[in-house]
Amino acid sequence: MNSTPTEDLLRVSLQEEAAEVAPAAPDLADRVLRAGARRRTRRFVGAGAAVAVVTALAILVPQAVNGGGGAGPAQVAERMDVVGHPDQSPPRELIAAGGTAVAAWYTTDWVEQPGGDRILTSTYHLYNPTTGRYGQVPWAFVAVAPGMRTAAVLEGELPARRIGVVDLASGKVQRWIPVDRPVGGLEYAPDGKRLLATTYAKNPDRTFKDKPRSVNDEVLPGPDPSRTGFGVVDLGSGKGSWHDVGYAGSEMDRALVNSREDFGWTHDGRQVHTTDVGTTSYYDLSGAKTSTPAAERHVGYVIAGFSPNGKLIGGPMTDSGRIESAVIDPVTGETKAVVPGQQLLAWADNRRLFAWGCDPAACSGKGEFRNRLLLVEIGKDSAVPLSNFRKPNDAAPGRWTPVFASRH
Amino acid sequence: MDADQQTAFREFVRDRSSALLRTAVLLSGGDRHAAEDLLQNALVKAAGRWHRIEEPEAYVRQILYRQQIGRWRLKGRRRELSVAEPPERPASTQSGTEAAESRIVLRAVLGRLTARQRTVLVLRYFEDLPEARVAQQLGCSVGTVRSTTHRALARLRVLAPELAPLERPEEPAAPTAPSHLEATR
Repeated sequence: MNSTPTEDLLRVSLQEEAAEVAPAAPDLADRVLRAGARRRTRRFVGAGAAVAVVTALAILVPQAVNGGGGAGPAQVAERMDVVGHPDQSPPRELIAAGGTAVAAWYTTDWVEQPGGDRILTSTYHLYNPTTGRYGQVPWAFVAVAPGMRTAAVLEGELPARRIGVVDLASGKVQRWIPVDRPVGGLEYAPDGKRLLATTYAKNPDRTFKDKPRSVNDEVLPGPDPSRTGFGVVDLGSGKGSWHDVGYAGSEMDRALVNSREDFGWTHDGRQVHTTDVGTTSYYDLSGAKTSTPAAERHVGYVIAGFSPNGKLIGGPMTDSGRIESAVIDPVTGETKAVVPGQQLLAWADNRRLFAWGCDPAACSGKGEFRNRLLLVEIGKDSAVPLSNFRKPNDAAPGRWTPVFASRH
Repeated sequence: MDADQQTAFREFVRDRSSALLRTAVLLSGGDRHAAEDLLQNALVKAAGRWHRIEEPEAYVRQILYRQQIGRWRLKGRRRELSVAEPPERPASTQSGTEAAESRIVLRAVLGRLTARQRTVLVLRYFEDLPEARVAQQLGCSVGTVRSTTHRALARLRVLAPELAPLERPEEPAAPTAPSHLEATR
């Protein structure tokens, strides 16, 4: 069948446009694997605690926000416990819902070093309850304690020789905890009383000119995985117990491991886990490898992890082709519910989650694929926007990553 | 993923991501940033299921195509996109320049179609898939593909009247009667 001139023009036009598209970023595979494989699970004080008392905080419930990227002023309304700022990205003022808040956020940039190495440098902004805003801090790594009164920090360049405990209200270091081994990552235990520190011989965020790798025909500095193990630091006494744990898998696996592969707590706070080359391994607190705990059997790579009551796990996007993620039964592995989010990040309570996504009621055009922080709820198709869309602009960095902590 | 799978995944991304990105940019109406998000999300999904995927390119492409359609379904009645301003009528005297300007005009108005219309046009006229394959990729009927294509082309002609003179004499320049247009195909 002959085509019409419009169709011919359309063909040529599409081909021209496609030909002008610059190649994909050379580190795309790395980014995808990091997003998929690394679990930086945020745990909350939940076991045994009753649902936190809901104080009547003034909240902002956004009305129909323009999906084109700009947002109209948020409207104030009395509602439960949700604090959102859909006009802000990255956030300037506190974002919170249920028992959880965005306690900090960070951006990352590759910074060239003299000599040709590069360092993936994080810039953190930590919540200050005195001002009600996030303020930039100089630390290379930040973890916020349950209750959001203190944070554990590491100085750059990593790995660090001591752990600082910072008071959020003043921003000052209350004390320094010396460590036996150099530390590159931190995570608070669910009870908030211990810190899990991942130890590294070299900076896990540095890539090395003398370890080059070829990406898309370009030669770039490459990673040099140097994780040595982990330590558990008791915050009360400041004492730590340190354990050598090598990478799981063969020497060949080591070539494929991310250089930053931190340990994380299991939901019950009794073991730790890490994911080397896509497989998750578990260890007890003496550093001995164990089999997968039954309760963790269906936990995948999704950051959100267990709900506060332990009855549900945040899951991956479904196969449906719609923008939605599964919520999974940890005992059976079955999908119990589906929520309208692209990536589930943290539980606000036992029914609601923070997620990256795009509010189906408000997205259109360019707004469709840029994502923003949403609050999604089991049983609801709609979502509450909590931040503006992440996009680069002159005034602020584009891609920010939230750090969650429980508010109480 | 085990070591072999991760190697295979990296090779797949290294070899195919630029081609996939080109398609994603067309699907997004020219928005590269949106296209990068779209592609990255699709690759994360593929990585999560890598050990079960037989044809990675087909799998990732289907996710790219269907993300659009899925959103369309969630939204119900769609508003008009207004990604691009209506282009000015180009003043030109030579046919070569006219053709080039028509292509620029066309690119701008593609952004103003619905995601579903644009997806179908990209699959039919850039990926050059037959109607039955488009239907299979999008999970709809061939009839739907056909009618969406007609409406999309008609919409292009409405949004870019400059294209009208290009049409053959027997086809209407202004599609006031869509059913008539469908019949001519």
